[in-house]
Amino acid sequence: MIKVFQNIQTQLNTTPHLLRLGRLFSETVLIEIDGEEIYLTFEKGRLVEVTPGPSRKTPWRFAFRTDAEALQKFWQPLPEAGFHDLFGLVKIGRGRIDGDILCLVKNLRFFKDVMALARLSKEVAA
Amino acid sequence: MSIEPIIGRYLTVTVAGASHRIFFEEAGQGRPVLCLHTAGADTRQWRHLMNDAGITASNRLIAFDMPWHGKSLPPEGFETQEYLLTTDAYIETVLAVIDGLGLDRPLLAGCSMGGRIALQLAALHPEKFSGFIAIEASDFQPAWYDIDWFDRPDAHGGEMGAALVSANISPFAPQVERSNTLWMFMQSGPGVFRGDLSFYTRDDSLITRLGQIDTAKTPVHIMVGAYDLTCTPEDAKRTADAIPGATLAVMEELGHFPMSEHPEGFRPFFVEALHKMTKDVVECA
Repeated sequence: MIKVFQNIQTQLNTTPHLLRLGRLFSETVLIEIDGEEIYLTFEKGRLVEVTPGPSRKTPWRFAFRTDAEALQKFWQPLPEAGFHDLFGLVKIGRGRIDGDILCLVKNLRFFKDVMALARLSKEVAA
Repeated sequence: MSIEPIIGRYLTVTVAGASHRIFFEEAGQGRPVLCLHTAGADTRQWRHLMNDAGITASNRLIAFDMPWHGKSLPPEGFETQEYLLTTDAYIETVLAVIDGLGLDRPLLAGCSMGGRIALQLAALHPEKFSGFIAIEASDFQPAWYDIDWFDRPDAHGGEMGAALVSANISPFAPQVERSNTLWMFMQSGPGVFRGDLSFYTRDDSLITRLGQIDTAKTPVHIMVGAYDLTCTPEDAKRTADAIPGATLAVMEELGHFPMSEHPEGFRPFFVEALHKMTKDVVECA
């Protein structure tokens, strides 16, 4: 799973409109998939580090917790209903948001678009 | 170059004792169909159907911007008011527009909060209408989000609102119309989306009124997109089941803003709804 986020990192850092959208976003986000932790460290919209956990020393602003199957469905080009959006995953009980949710909401378009970048990845869609 | 057949004008009405300058636009001829936009948006959501010659050949589609929305100004003194839409004010506004435009028992087609108020009107003022098309409409939904997120001095409520409601748009929607749909939310005035949501997520008065609706006199057709996270197919079905004689269509590839996010996908469902509103069909049903 870490490879998917490394691919997201490469895509984000070469996507000017997303970098502009996230230019005020400098936070660390915890992604937890079936208990596996991945820390995404953003600096002014750029994803500067993708760090595998576990870690008890890494502070994070908000966390998105889900499972691998749900993420695979989320990353399909035409996801089924409920799996088509991060908040959809939360609503159907396959995702959970913890931490500073207002920080997430203020940067929601950016974060959603970043997480959806893997939809362009062939290895995920397969 | 092309010029669309939609024509817009302004109407001044009094609602809750205050004067309101209302923008409305229309296209077509024949049976009047009054169209209500969703929360945080405006009449542009209806532009695809209003530009559809197959629809407007026999239907006069009329849409108006609610006060505070689109090109309708807020009332005088708004700068010291907190906008909070209520069922009573919404009903009074719709009835004032009907009277102001001299519409004779129009069909009412409303989406989301417009669908909610369509069902309220079906229960409380059916004599004013010939039928109700309630899109993404249900009895009640509490918020699955904090409506105060969308009215903050330290952030752009429109951008946050758009990012939130994108959850309700189907992945089958063409990108251009997904973006246009979200743009309207981004343009929404400060506190307007929140004020609409206050009505939509806190007023549950419709629940006990559903049984009053007499579909033998005025048909009710409810439509819901499978990708709508706000008004889910289960919400719409529960609502339809509580209205004797109401019909329901689930639109598998559409979301919460079907006429706006995916006009081509929505068209056959809207045509079906218009057919259901004709008296003959009702009598045969």
